[in-house]
Amino acid sequence: MSAVAGEGGARRGFSIGPFTPLFACLGLLVVWQIGAMLLATDSIPTALEALRAVPDVLGSRDGLVNILDSIRRMAIGLSAAVVVSIPLGLVMGRLRAVAAFFNPILMVIYPVPKAALMPIIMLWLGVGDLSKTLVIFLAVTLPIIYHAFEGAKAVEEKMIWSGMAMGMSRVEILARIVLPAALPEILAGCRTGLVLALITMVTSEMIARKSGTGNILFNALDMGQYDTVFAMIIVIGALGIVLDAAFDRLRRLLVAWAETRQDIPLSFT
Amino acid sequence: MRATFPRDFTLGIIPILLIGALWQAIVAYGYAPPSLLPPPGQVFTRLAQQLVGLDYLAQAAATLLRLFVGFAIAVVLGIGIGLMAAVHRGVDAVVRPLVRVLAPVPKVALYPALLLLLGFDHASKIALVAADALFPILLSTYYGASTIEKKLVWSALAAGTPPRQVLYKVVLPAALPSILTGCRIGLVISCIVVFLAEMISSTDGLGYLLVRAARSFQTVDMFVPLISISLLGLVLNALFYCARRVLLRGFPEV
Repeated sequence: MSAVAGEGGARRGFSIGPFTPLFACLGLLVVWQIGAMLLATDSIPTALEALRAVPDVLGSRDGLVNILDSIRRMAIGLSAAVVVSIPLGLVMGRLRAVAAFFNPILMVIYPVPKAALMPIIMLWLGVGDLSKTLVIFLAVTLPIIYHAFEGAKAVEEKMIWSGMAMGMSRVEILARIVLPAALPEILAGCRTGLVLALITMVTSEMIARKSGTGNILFNALDMGQYDTVFAMIIVIGALGIVLDAAFDRLRRLLVAWAETRQDIPLSFT
Repeated sequence: MRATFPRDFTLGIIPILLIGALWQAIVAYGYAPPSLLPPPGQVFTRLAQQLVGLDYLAQAAATLLRLFVGFAIAVVLGIGIGLMAAVHRGVDAVVRPLVRVLAPVPKVALYPALLLLLGFDHASKIALVAADALFPILLSTYYGASTIEKKLVWSALAAGTPPRQVLYKVVLPAALPSILTGCRIGLVISCIVVFLAEMISSTDGLGYLLVRAARSFQTVDMFVPLISISLLGLVLNALFYCARRVLLRGFPEV
């Protein structure tokens, strides 16, 4: 425990090597393999068996169509949320009255389980793409609004004054000063949104089983195709890890000038 | 600050009232049949009736049990692992890559696996709640504990505190604001997740009530559990906020 004194003194960087996550994945698979071999029940396949079933899921036309359906809904819902939330958040951050107007209603909406709206929205819009995309949109808007709001609030006043002194209009100030200055915070919100979109995508499909990843997952569970269940879990998990890593790469490119505080998104609010 | 409070409050109440009015208007002018959108009065009357009924409370109790057990597991594991990783390099080297990989995985996708492992009873739902609430708590503990003022640790050591005790005498209290923020996020997540887990596969609990109502197209009964769980989230969030203020008395404003 002397580590408290020794290493606590030198603050370590928050960056992480590219290979360690890979090792972590391997480690998890090894633990799974050993655990499944020890349990030796039919319903829990070993990691190798599940991995062997992955090409079957991805290779079949049906599986691929379902997965692409899911990804399309997620992309549309997420993009729509980004387009609506960022301007709203930025305006809220700069204008007190707008913030006062929206904050309480957002606070009330915050603890509503968005994917649980699925059965009600299905009554209105049907089981199709529209209701699932809408649910994803609803789930993702709040964190992005919140982060854009916090980012815009924290912009240095002197920069705004300089812009005003140079004769910029209010819209120009918002687009050319507030937006870039708040970008690191906005992108942090988008990253949370991405993870949340994926969660909502899977959940909505589990509740309204018509197509998509959650559909395959639970149909396979009902039919006792346990290899497929676990293969699908691997596919969804890999999707989450890859999307998150890709977005993080993009974020580092866009806001290389800002110091990164955390390498993992903290808030899932 | 105080002078603007009534104005802000009035502004803030407007959208909430607007939504209520819109809801009432849609029903009253017949744009939506009551079978698709029941009038708000009817929904809240049913909510009030249910909240005093024993049957409904029993279902809510099942939900609460899963919620709190799952959340408690997440708090213990999250704070424990987070603190260890922040002060011990060996633990850190193992935990960080694992968290990096597991945090962006949608935990709900693990639910079928949990069902197969732990059965369809409480255990699988509790495990899902714990898995989802764990990461915000773990991460905020980790960041809180690794960014504390090093002088605090040095002073404690210089004053003769055994290194073993520094962890809970200095590091833990210093990281408390961050830890409690993580716990609050985790608590609301727990609320949401327990409800979803009950919707996907359950025979009791508030989430099950929603699914049961949906199967028989009882629209009013679909709204009631949804509003209950949202209110529960709001109340727990507010309670936790108060608890946080009491616990953090004397801390600089955070």
